[in-house]
Parts: sequence; structure tokens; C-alpha cells
Amino acid sequence: MKIVIIGASAAGISAAKTLKVMDPNTEVVIISKDDTIHSRCMLHKYLGHERDAQGISFVPQDFCEANNITWMKNTRVIGVDPQKKILKTRHHQEITYDKLLITTGAAYFIPPVPGMREAHNAFGFRDLSDAKLIDNASKNSKNAIVVGAGLVGMDAAFALLELGLNVTVIEMADTVLGLQLDPKAAGEYQKIFEGAGAKFLLSEKVDSVELDNHQNATSVHLASGKIVPCDFIIVAAGVRPSYDFLEGSGIAANRGITVGDDMRTNIDDVYAAGDVLGISGIWPNAMNQGKIAATNMLGGSAVYKDRYALKNTASFYGLNTLSLGNVNPADEVNCEIIKREDKNNYQKIVSNDGLILGVIFQGDIGNTGFWQYLIKNKIDVSDIDKPIFDLSYADFYGIDQDSGEYCYTL
Amino acid sequence: MKRIMIDREKCDGCLNCNVACMSAHQEGSNFYTVNLQAPESETRNFIKFDAKTGYTPVFCRHCDSPECVMSCMSGALEKDPITGHVKYDEEQCAGCFMCVMNCPYGVLKPDNKTRTKIIRCDFCEDKADGPSCVAACPKEAIMVREVSL
Repeated sequence: MKIVIIGASAAGISAAKTLKVMDPNTEVVIISKDDTIHSRCMLHKYLGHERDAQGISFVPQDFCEANNITWMKNTRVIGVDPQKKILKTRHHQEITYDKLLITTGAAYFIPPVPGMREAHNAFGFRDLSDAKLIDNASKNSKNAIVVGAGLVGMDAAFALLELGLNVTVIEMADTVLGLQLDPKAAGEYQKIFEGAGAKFLLSEKVDSVELDNHQNATSVHLASGKIVPCDFIIVAAGVRPSYDFLEGSGIAANRGITVGDDMRTNIDDVYAAGDVLGISGIWPNAMNQGKIAATNMLGGSAVYKDRYALKNTASFYGLNTLSLGNVNPADEVNCEIIKREDKNNYQKIVSNDGLILGVIFQGDIGNTGFWQYLIKNKIDVSDIDKPIFDLSYADFYGIDQDSGEYCYTL
Repeated sequence: MKRIMIDREKCDGCLNCNVACMSAHQEGSNFYTVNLQAPESETRNFIKFDAKTGYTPVFCRHCDSPECVMSCMSGALEKDPITGHVKYDEEQCAGCFMCVMNCPYGVLKPDNKTRTKIIRCDFCEDKADGPSCVAACPKEAIMVREVSL
């Protein structure tokens, strides 16, 4: 059987690995528009000159050869014909498949701000190719603007600061990392970034981008009337699942390819996994989806159950943070918020009636993994007679006598 | 694969396993000479105490389906197909700590000294006698057993 995977990131590689472990005789072809396999979570390390392209790979250099996988790099798929089971590429190749897995991920989105889409020096920050363009632009530049202070924007800002640029981050919300953190935890990062030279313009909206005769952005105009000069712009304003090439194929999609819990699409022998589903942008979830899709392509019956995606870690300048669940409950949500703080740590637990809704651990995040289990499985902790911060896995300890694996005793 | 089996009832919280683990990862030291106060001196296993339930050893399981490996975006964590143990490549690790976030049992932690790497059980793979914690346990509350992978 010939299985073709489009995309070579978390979901695609995880699927390829699973296929080869389960059945080494399956023919596996990976098609990717990139010419490297790399982890986009490490792009800032490339841009900041901490690692080279090989250093941000998440598989060994000989991964495809060693696993007998055919890798078609620099190849963009432009169409799928599920009736004939054929893919068409931009260079007019036709590739047949018995089963197809689509893991094309997502692409950055540039908001329709006048001048921003037209600017030759406004970049997204998603692929290694983006990082290379930015690296090039940074060589003769002094002033960089980052639009968006989410994790990608902060990653980009970090890398540009490492390169010695003047970095201004513009964000519509009134804090950085607003989706992950509360104002206190976010403020800590803002302070450290400012210490490293970054400027933040919060609660500010980009109105337009001024272009010179060569279509290069020279400044950004904000709704408040401020004008910020720049040599180039990184736009970190979110991503959209990328599946344009499926048009006319009959494969159902709605803000992401539609799949069941088994990662099957509406079309026989076509599966999808990862960010292209539009249900989570979280690395571990994409890996898991890829593994499930691969298992089912080989006739297994794996189900995507662990859907929890409100989870993030951040690590900048030695300050680590874990954030899970709802850390900024709305006023009308009836809940209890407990905080603990010292010079190096900020911790917050949001709970309601014995159920943990969200946590932030900033500073020491050691041994905090069990909180995710408590939150996503809605485990009632009200019967445990100890301060909530003293909870650990030991309070739910269980062990399988045969395998020696842990489980939760509730 | 070999796994450290745990008999919670036998543990009396002496923490010899902690000391043995620190020593095993401090080159040139032994159980008696290990510098417990060195900033890089850290245990990879934990004993939790509770007045009602007593002592609970929390040790890495090198799980059959390791969530830490599943969460690793740098390729630093791999489950070895032969030994079944989770291997950690410190050089490759990018310090994102998604493995800390994803371990359902809260076993993993960033290192105290640099907070850029993780502290995790390596099953004392370099030691002929197997895990140092097991050798140091006077109660046989932890022991190595072959389990099917």
C-alpha cells in the first residue's frame, strides 16, 4: 500500500513514524513545500542565530532514508482528485496514492490593513523560509516592528532583540500574551523584554502602513495617531488552516478540514491531522492526531480523545510559565481565585466548586504536569483535605500491578 | 522492557533514592561524598508525604505511550525501541517545557540551575547495576522488573 502524506511538520512526521513502526512494508511518501524538516516552535532560535537550520530540525538528518520514506521536498500540491486517487503538483507532476493524509498545517494571516499586504518588507513568521527572509531584511536594518504580542510575536521580538535591533511590538489588547496569561504574569514578560530593549505599544491598532516608491513599508500609522518608523515589519496576527488546494475535490472543510474522531475526512481513504483541522494549534495534539490517523490508515481503530488544547508553556530570558485552562475568568463566572507569590514565583489557581478551571505557574514550573490532567478530566478535588497548592499526583495515586504504569485513582 | 516497580506500602520515606539519584548524576561522587547542596544536584524521583496516606514514591514510568515524547517539539525526547526507555538529548532540547506540561504524573521539571533543560530519569543507563535508586532502597519498595512493552 502507498500512503502519501502532504506536509512535513508535527502531524505528518508523527504519522510517518507511526506507519513505519506499525508496518515497515508500507510505502510512505512525504510531500512538502519546504526543503527542510523543521520545528516551527524553534524558528526564533534560528532567527536569533542560536541554531542553524539543522539545529531546529526535530528529526535526525537521515530520518527519511533511515526509515525508507520517500521525501519529495520543494513540492507544492495544487490539487487532489479523490476519484482517481491522484495529486497534482505545481510542477505538473501527478502522484498516485492508495491512502492520503493531509497535514498541511496553517499559514499566517496578514490583516487587510491598507499597505500591509502590499509591503514587500512585511513578513509572516511561520516557516523557515519566512525566517530566512527576515534574517536577510534584518541585515541592513535598525528598526523592526512586530504586530501582535502572542507567542509567535514574542518569539519574533525575542529573536530580533538578539540580533541587536530596535524592536517595537504593537498589540491591540492591553497586555502581551493575552490568550495565555493574566495581566500580572504577562507584565513580568513585558518587563523583561523592555529590559532587553523592546518597546511595547499596547491597546493600539494599526491603521495603515506607509510605503515608499519600492513598496517597502517605512512607517506604521496607529489609530491613536502615533507614527512608528520601521525598516521592516513582522506580522504575527494569527494563522488560518491552509487547504486551498482542496477546492473542487469534495473534501469537506469549514475553517479547517472536517474529520471524525478517527481523523477520516468525508472522502474514503483521505485523512487529515494537525493545524489544518483548525481545532488546536498545539504541538502535542498535532503529534497525537498524526499518530491516530496513521493507526487508522493501517486498519486500526484509534480515537482522538485527548482534545484539550488550552495549554501553553512560555520560556523567555530564563522566566518559565505554564498556563492551563481559563486563567482570566469573566466577572460573571462564579469561581474562586487563589494566588501565591514570592520574589521569583507567581502562581494562580482558578477553581469552582472543587473543579480546577485554570492555573498559572510562573517561575518554578517543576512537577506541574498533573494539573492538566485534573483540569481536562474535570476531577473534583473538594474532598481532598489539604491546601490546593499542596496537591500532587500522589493524591490520586494508582498503579497497574502488571505493567507498573501509573493511573489515576478517583 | 525493564521498569521500576513500586510497592508504596513498603516505602518509609528515607529518601535514600533521592540521594542515590543525585549522586548518580554527580560525576565522581558516591552515596557518602555527594554534594547535596550543589545547585545542579537534583533528584529525578520524588517521595510525597501525606499524613493520611503516608509515603508515595513518584518515579518516571518510561510510559508505554509517553506523553513527554509526544509533546517534544525539538526531537530531544525519544522512546528507545529496544530498551523501551525514554532517552533525552540535552543538546537538542530547546527548553520549551511542553513535556513538563504534558506529563500526567508531574514527574518532569526544569533544572534548578539554568532552567533551560529538564531533569528526568535516564534509568542509570550507563551503570552496569541498573538504577541507583533501586540499589539504594533498603526496603525493596522499588525494584526493577521486566514488563512487556
